Amino acid sequence: MALPDPVLPTPMQVGFYEARDLNKRFGPVTVLRGVSLAMQPGHIHTIMGENGAGKSTAFKILAGLIQPSSGSLHLDGQALSLASPAAAHHAGIYLVPQEPALMPELTVTETMFVGQLPTMWKFPRRVDWKAARARACQALATLDLDIDPDQLARHLSIAQQQQLECAKALLRGCRVILFDEPTSPLTTHEVERLFGTMRRLRGDGYTLGFISHRMDEVLDISDDISVLRDGVLVDSVERAAFDRVRLLSKMVGREMRVIPRRQISHATSQPVLEVADLAHAPRFRNVSFDLHKGEILGFAGLVGAGRTEIAETIFGIRARDKGIVRLAGEDISDLDTHDIIRKGLVYAPEDRARHGAVLPMSITENVTSGLLERVRSRAGLLSRSDEDRIGAETVQRYRVRCAGTDQKLRQLSGGNQQKVVFGKWMGIGPDVAILDEPTRGVDVGAKDEIYDLIDSLAQEGMGILIISSELEELVRICDRILSIYDGEIVAELTGDEITPERVSASYLTTAAASGR
Amino acid sequence: MSNSVTARRSRSRFPLGGWESSLLVLFVLQVLASSFSIPGFFDSFSSWLGLTENFLPFGIVALGLSVVILTGGIDLSVGSTAGLGAIVMAELWLHLGMPIWIAVMIGVALGALVGLINGLIITRFNTEPLIATLATSFIYRSVGTALAGESPPSGFPDSFNALGQGAIGGLIPYQLILFSILAVLFALLMSRSAYGRKIVMVGYNGDAARYSGLRVGRIVTSAYVISGAMAALAGIVLAAYYSAVRPDMGDILLLTTITTVVLGGISIFGGEGSIGGVVIAVLLLGFLRQGMLIAGFSDMVTTMVTGAILLAAITIRNLLSGRGTGMALLVRRFRNLGRDKLTEATK
Repeated sequence: MALPDPVLPTPMQVGFYEARDLNKRFGPVTVLRGVSLAMQPGHIHTIMGENGAGKSTAFKILAGLIQPSSGSLHLDGQALSLASPAAAHHAGIYLVPQEPALMPELTVTETMFVGQLPTMWKFPRRVDWKAARARACQALATLDLDIDPDQLARHLSIAQQQQLECAKALLRGCRVILFDEPTSPLTTHEVERLFGTMRRLRGDGYTLGFISHRMDEVLDISDDISVLRDGVLVDSVERAAFDRVRLLSKMVGREMRVIPRRQISHATSQPVLEVADLAHAPRFRNVSFDLHKGEILGFAGLVGAGRTEIAETIFGIRARDKGIVRLAGEDISDLDTHDIIRKGLVYAPEDRARHGAVLPMSITENVTSGLLERVRSRAGLLSRSDEDRIGAETVQRYRVRCAGTDQKLRQLSGGNQQKVVFGKWMGIGPDVAILDEPTRGVDVGAKDEIYDLIDSLAQEGMGILIISSELEELVRICDRILSIYDGEIVAELTGDEITPERVSASYLTTAAASGR
Repeated sequence: MSNSVTARRSRSRFPLGGWESSLLVLFVLQVLASSFSIPGFFDSFSSWLGLTENFLPFGIVALGLSVVILTGGIDLSVGSTAGLGAIVMAELWLHLGMPIWIAVMIGVALGALVGLINGLIITRFNTEPLIATLATSFIYRSVGTALAGESPPSGFPDSFNALGQGAIGGLIPYQLILFSILAVLFALLMSRSAYGRKIVMVGYNGDAARYSGLRVGRIVTSAYVISGAMAALAGIVLAAYYSAVRPDMGDILLLTTITTVVLGGISIFGGEGSIGGVVIAVLLLGFLRQGMLIAGFSDMVTTMVTGAILLAAITIRNLLSGRGTGMALLVRRFRNLGRDKLTEATK
């Protein structure tokens, strides 16, 4: 009976991981431009940047999840080609995802050895559970983790799951461990524990990568900091040269980006949507704002700040703990989505394929689905000619490029799908429209068309609330911007205050100040 | 591309899609082949039409079940509900001396009620339709068997039996007339009414339906109410056909109707399919079974063939729709790749 060696692989004093001149394009969009990073053994190397700066993409390339369009990876001077996460693990590189996807019904031990349980006997081969458990215990003990190896994975908290991922990295003998924004779902105490684990690994000579938005924790734990902005490496500093102000300005960008703002505002002083003290623990609280007739209001903030949740609560999709929503003076807080739509408030969700549209249905059917009462009916049957007319009008008014109004929505491009979703809602003449990431997955040319469309709707007196993670988009079309951080409105910007730098700083500085 | 050109419908309005048309061709071929090769299958037009009395109750159940399956659900309790509806009808007539047609209406209403219970369990407690209706099917069947007692009621008045056995002018069975009316009603309801549109939308994408302001819970529940009422009605027609209540019909009823609905082209994932296809499938499957029975095959063989047809239908549909096969997996993987790229790019 040959027991496998229960001794953990000892980290060697190697693990100098380098990325040279990485470029990554997704279709027409360039996400990374010539990014070079050098990660040293025994160092925690942090990557900072705004939404869409390319942080996660960079880590995914480093961990073999996606392939760079060009550029190379080098571990201890040797060129690597990582075709898959498995290849990366083999090379000694491990990515700890923000919310690890564990198999809920497996025990901790099983989870740790998925795909490579130690075996005994040649035939019949069987799992050597004793050895597996011993090695699992040892890996957990090495990291000083208080996790029972016989526990089911589904009982673990997110923090414990992340730590378990660290232990898995050790078991696989990985020397480079990357953490993709691990702290945002964690509590202060959990963050401290995670940092304890990271410091221990650093002390043992591992090479650690880290992504975070939170200035304080970054300054606290990092040895090196690289700042990405719009896919370009704009700064790379060592611990001695850390400077909060400099990092912030690098993240936000100091040079003026020229963005043509809308010249004419249609905003009036007449409130059409009034939200007072809306709250739903733990996602958001104290949300109070007014939206005026003809106004385009923007919600800025980091991904996960609670902007979509606020919108969905207003739209009656999610429950609320407290707060009042008034539409044109009428309390709509207790109505369901069906009634809210008929009162004149609509919401175009960010995920078109899942929430916004029914892709296997036709353009016309999607357009009329928001309010089937629009279609004339006789003896309970929808009038086909009337429905075709509505579909055709929508296609014409919103310039949907299609082969015909009965074309299935899934055959259209993202931009055209979005126009259909717009047509569906605008056709019923709402007073307020909430647009969540209105140009996600839309190509550049179609974006302009959508901006023009939004402007013309405001001109007609509609109140429009836009949630967007694209700063330039908000800056370009909004009359007023509210910054949301961690479920609260932290800043309001109007007029000339609306520049990409100031909008971005309004929530990033809060992030830095509150730190957690 | 100019929009004045594009703003029109691009396809014809022929009511039957490719799948339905193929079924229709298959049906015609099968009837012709059986007529020539099986003696006794087509003796006279009226006897041929009379064959439908053997299987149209299954068709009635299939119509109701189609609505449920279009929402992406399943109702395994239709068999038990049919039995329960018929038994309650018969007991009301026999023991309470209720006029039989009033009892029929109460029986159908009871079917709707047990459907409502199914629907509420599924939507309110967020239960899997498969499990919920499997559980309630046991309950409904037990209640039915208990109510029926040792000797189930039989010997209904002739006016009632005519519903199952009679024919107008000795030619067109009442069953066929009832089924035709229901089939047209359901076809219009599903393809042309706002209600049908909502059912299909919920079936394709329940989340999107909710974000479009549809009251998904109510719509799904209503589908089970329809299915329950249709099942009870079918049970009552069966009772009229046998002039007796048979609480043991549940399983074969369920197997056959699910086969019919799937063969008719309704996707078990919801959304896809038409009532027209189901109607053709009712006739195709029904005449096939009758043909085989007349030709002397045992009931076991025909049941086996039913199972084989179910398997074939689902396999072919999956191949065609690119779902659940190796090819489909590849297609989906490429699609996902594209989508991931999109989301990546916008992150």
